[in-house]
Amino acid sequence: MGTSLVKFGRDTARDVKQVARGWRWGRRPQVPRSAEPYVIPKESTVFPTKWARTPAAIAVRDLIQKGPLNAVLNFEVSPQVSGLDSLLKLDGPAIIVANHSSHLDTPLLLLSLPDAMRRKTAFAAAADYFFDTWWRAAGSAIVFNTFPIERRGGNLSSTPGDLLADGWNVVVFPEGTRSPDGWIQRFRMGAAYLAVEHDVPVIPVGIKGSFAAMPRGRGWPVPGRPAVHVRYGDPLYAAEGESPRDFAPRIAAAVSALLDEESTTWYEARRRAAIGASPSQTGPAAARWRRVWETTRPMKSTDGRRRAWK
Amino acid sequence: MSRPGFVLEVDDRTPPLLVHNGEGFLLERFPLGTRVVYPPEALPPVRDVDEAIQNALLNPIESEPLPELLRAGMRLTIAFDDISIPLPPMKKPDIRQRIIEAVLELAAQAGVDDVELISANALHRRLTPNELRDIVGERVFRSFFPDGKLYNFDAEDSANLTHLGQTRHGEDVEISKRAAESDLLVYVNVNLVAMDGGHKSTSIGLASYKSLKHHHNSHTMIHSRSFMDHKRSKMHESAWRMGEILTQHVKVFQIETTLNNDIFGGPLEFLQKREWEWSIKDQASMLGTKRALAAAPAKLRHKIFTDVRSNYGLTGVHAGKIEPVHDKTLENVHRQHLVEVQGQSDVAIMGVPFIGPYNVNSVMNPILAACMGLGYYFNSYRGNPIVRKDGAVILYHPVDYEFSQLHHPSYVDFFEEVLAESTDPATIEAKFEKQYAEDPWYIHLYRTSYAYHGVHPFYMWYWISHALDHCGDIVWVGANRKTVERMGFRSASTLQDALEMVSHSVGRSPSITYLHNPPHLLADVR
Repeated sequence: MGTSLVKFGRDTARDVKQVARGWRWGRRPQVPRSAEPYVIPKESTVFPTKWARTPAAIAVRDLIQKGPLNAVLNFEVSPQVSGLDSLLKLDGPAIIVANHSSHLDTPLLLLSLPDAMRRKTAFAAAADYFFDTWWRAAGSAIVFNTFPIERRGGNLSSTPGDLLADGWNVVVFPEGTRSPDGWIQRFRMGAAYLAVEHDVPVIPVGIKGSFAAMPRGRGWPVPGRPAVHVRYGDPLYAAEGESPRDFAPRIAAAVSALLDEESTTWYEARRRAAIGASPSQTGPAAARWRRVWETTRPMKSTDGRRRAWK
Repeated sequence: MSRPGFVLEVDDRTPPLLVHNGEGFLLERFPLGTRVVYPPEALPPVRDVDEAIQNALLNPIESEPLPELLRAGMRLTIAFDDISIPLPPMKKPDIRQRIIEAVLELAAQAGVDDVELISANALHRRLTPNELRDIVGERVFRSFFPDGKLYNFDAEDSANLTHLGQTRHGEDVEISKRAAESDLLVYVNVNLVAMDGGHKSTSIGLASYKSLKHHHNSHTMIHSRSFMDHKRSKMHESAWRMGEILTQHVKVFQIETTLNNDIFGGPLEFLQKREWEWSIKDQASMLGTKRALAAAPAKLRHKIFTDVRSNYGLTGVHAGKIEPVHDKTLENVHRQHLVEVQGQSDVAIMGVPFIGPYNVNSVMNPILAACMGLGYYFNSYRGNPIVRKDGAVILYHPVDYEFSQLHHPSYVDFFEEVLAESTDPATIEAKFEKQYAEDPWYIHLYRTSYAYHGVHPFYMWYWISHALDHCGDIVWVGANRKTVERMGFRSASTLQDALEMVSHSVGRSPSITYLHNPPHLLADVR
């Protein structure tokens, strides 16, 4: 009896372990590649996030962001922020647009903003990724003030427009997903559309180094406290009668110029931008490893600390 | 919306896959690159079943409407498929009940008094009164059974058999006298798989051994490629020839139904879902069921599976002349079961489930397990077998030494006496079949008890003759070594061991295809 009970317990543990590993408990489930064409897209149900912008939720978020989140971020990476004076030129809500290559981008952006603006900033997050389970949705909403958007088409959400109307800044990563190799991908037109539709400025932001610090597939930054640069640019306004289709390339060019500026100097970047010679930030047409090799090249830290060896 | 079947290629993202294993199941990690054939999801069922039945009876294909065929003073016989289909049995009300009630309603309106209902069980066991009631429903049972007008077909009651003649191939056509002498024979069919229906219904279901032996033999079965494709099946060709003779003598109004793949419901629903789509609830159900089955005594485990009843949705009902009706039926069956597969593989893997056509409310003995895997599953193809010539088949089933003395008495002797001498279908056919077919004790049990006919285990063995002829190696995973050895097969502890055992014929890196059924599928191998 005792032996059979032990065997039953052992077999049960083995089965549970097999299911936990096979179905990736605690991690995102995966679909076999050959089955992907047969997956039925989930019915999109809008997860309510209004509660995350109530005073109580803002207070809790403030505590989390300024406390553990800030401490962990600064412990693991070395953020270098510049161009914050551009934000002084704003007199109302804005759309903040940045390139996106890592999960670090969200806390980096958020924690580099002035406190008053940070408290009034919401993030557009992929509905199919951050809002696929209630706990992930609630977690990201309370910590980062996210709201869901459909990145694969579907109905256009009214949430970002409502937020802008209520005086909230909205962060959008127009690439729609993290870059697979650190280089910029095609910018979609959602941010430009919002800016034109709601007549708000766009703040371009260039983030460099986050791919090297925590690329896709990693759940935690690489050791060594890598440097990550966040550079804010001047607000961009859609010209009278300018369509989103025309405005979107200007936004993309502004982000590219900021990344160029990060590699050189502000004045050199401006001169190149003036003659339309900003280097492409979409990377060389080369094998993937070479593209990754380039974006993971160690960056110089500007905090004045010396490396252990040169 | 139901999704079509497809072929999965196992990759690093694929979770362990479910494999049926008798009265249980297991999770198996298949080698990378293994192809897994998934059946189409359940088709949307007909919304109004009664309306569909009425429509079929009043607007039949190439036949007068049923009311025009019914008149007072006529002899009406209604034959219906027995308990061997569908599998698992259907939740009440059975589709046969609904059709028979509709037919009887019309017969009552026409003033038909002479009505008899026959379970077309050929050499299968008789159905118990309860089993008959489950199929035809309480009203029909109460109206006909007490007067002996609802009964099982008796293939050994020579006084009640009629020889209708011979086909051009010299095949005897001998069927139920009552059916043969009726003014109208209405056949109510459940077409679970492509093999069923058509002329197989009456020409086999109501036939005697004298008639059946012409197509239920090793030669015919080895040349039925497969018996799920009636145009390439010698067995069906023979049945069709018999059907021609039969329909010259008897007016047959054929009613065929097709069901969808909605087999497992409730806590067992995960069995018909694709594994990577299992929700937390499905994973919990699977774990709970697996552990409960592991802890349950064998009797309880058996009862759990015996009590499984399936929802099934009706995907079509057609009535009228046999051939065009069957063509419509096959369209529906193919819509539900057909999966296109590109090319054969070196190894085919199949999980034999808890139920087959001949162990409903009974146990799956070793011969039935072999028949289910190497007969029905191996033949679930159209075009070419899923495995190449001289390839290997790996099956999962415990193959316990377990027989029902009530239902399968001749199987025990077949296993102990016949298989001990030879496993070659042609040899045992020549040497033993007649003796078993004419054994008075087996005939007595078949006629008076609930035993399958003495010759039935031979038929099961002929059923697998195509697989035996085609495959180089057959290995069972997790099976009782002695029982599979008696049947001429080998047993392995794990899939890895099985692949190791067959590596001498298929190599170290064979192409592998796993047939992920049930729910049922028909591999269209190009």
